[in-house]
Amino acid sequence: MFHALYTAASGMTAQQINLDNIANNLANASTSGFQSRRVQFSDLLYQSEVMPGAAATQQTTVSSGLQVGLGTRPGNTEIIQTQGDLSSTGNPLDFAIEGTGFFQILLPNNQIGYTRAGSFQPNQQGTLVTANGDQLQPAITIPPNATNITVGSDGTVSATLPGQINAAQVGTIQLATFANPGGLNSIGNNIYLPTTASGDAVVGTPGGADGLGTIQQGMLEQANVNIVDEFVNMILAQRSYESNSRVVKAADEMLQGLNQVAQ
Amino acid sequence: MDSGYYAACTALVSRTQALDTIANNLANASTVGYRAQHNQFSSVLAQASGAPDSDLNQAINNYGILSGTMLDESQGALQKTGNNLDLAIQGSGFFVVQTAGGPMYTRDGSFQLSSKGQLITSTGDPVMGDKGAISLPPGSVSISPDGTISSNGAVAGKLKLVSFPAGTNLTSAGETYYSAPPNSEAASTDSTVKQGMLESSNVNPVTSMVELITAQRSAEMMQRELSMYSSEMDKTATQDLPKIS
Repeated sequence: MFHALYTAASGMTAQQINLDNIANNLANASTSGFQSRRVQFSDLLYQSEVMPGAAATQQTTVSSGLQVGLGTRPGNTEIIQTQGDLSSTGNPLDFAIEGTGFFQILLPNNQIGYTRAGSFQPNQQGTLVTANGDQLQPAITIPPNATNITVGSDGTVSATLPGQINAAQVGTIQLATFANPGGLNSIGNNIYLPTTASGDAVVGTPGGADGLGTIQQGMLEQANVNIVDEFVNMILAQRSYESNSRVVKAADEMLQGLNQVAQ
Repeated sequence: MDSGYYAACTALVSRTQALDTIANNLANASTVGYRAQHNQFSSVLAQASGAPDSDLNQAINNYGILSGTMLDESQGALQKTGNNLDLAIQGSGFFVVQTAGGPMYTRDGSFQLSSKGQLITSTGDPVMGDKGAISLPPGSVSISPDGTISSNGAVAGKLKLVSFPAGTNLTSAGETYYSAPPNSEAASTDSTVKQGMLESSNVNPVTSMVELITAQRSAEMMQRELSMYSSEMDKTATQDLPKIS
């Protein structure tokens, strides 16, 4: 039977996954701290009917081989590491990271998760938590009667208490970075977990010598999804799907014609 | 049996192989760094008698077998990604990748860092620099057009870019890797590296579609040929001739 049928099917499957990924990127275009992903494809094995460089005669070699590829497969989905736009929210407990780095979040199973979504609120004890109630690490507790909260670009959190002129430091936000942030595991809720591919987290001071980004108070990082690019990719995925299905149709018609020869 | 019967059959087989190559090109239209393959047909028999071919003979015999597939060396479109470790080559060069099966060459520059800070491909094979594998300290990476990699302002290595003389047989190995005959590589002089970009597949959907239609229609022609031989001529010969007495 023709490989062409299977080859085209591999192309259609790949474009289906591509479209799924584009749909997820577009669906999260308003998720703060979301980092879009891109599907990478690679070609499959080749059937070499004549190897390039094979001997044609004792003195000469063939000018090019006869290699027929067997299609494509989705290789990996790479996390796009570009900076999202910062939008001003005016909320003193919204933090954006300008540059590289992740906030550290204590998950309910005592694991540390990493996120770029910096929208925090105090819980009933005054400790800063995410919208899901998970604590920011190292824990920062805001005194309940604080009148003003300031976060410096290096992550220093200070609170002004009533009757006091100088703000008192109540904690420091630290950021984590990875050798290969593209190898992080997304578990939803904007949280990433480290893997052997990403390497262990390296924790440091924002804006410090480790090359970590700085903290911007009162801002949130928007998703780094580029809507125009996603639309272009969506059109390409759709057209590529169509051209692959056209190959299936052609192979089918050729087989059909072949069956009619025998009649 | 008529020899044309076999000629049409061979040509039909070559058309189905051609369809396989076209299908592979279209399936890889979104594969970064993929090089399209083009079919080459050749005639079954060289003109032995020296007499000119009839039109029908030419149509069947001149494209009788698929003799080879040739890599399309043209530049693919550069597509902006914004990722610092996405690299595209403008020019004829290739990146060198060390795999378990020896050095491989690729145009797919969607590189990443391993957990040890080594520059690797998306399948995890180390990318070669002038002095072996490249390790980068954490921090911002910038890559100049000649392939020099700097991390936090300090030079961390230089990408090895190689080209092959015209006519070198590159073998497709999957994963957009190509292998080349030993000692055929030379430092590339016409290649520049573009950071934050990837080279799209150089498959041209229009020509692929035209090739597809050509293969399909010429397969139909061969099928018509076959049925003509089998149902009209041979049938006539086997069923009608005995009745003439």
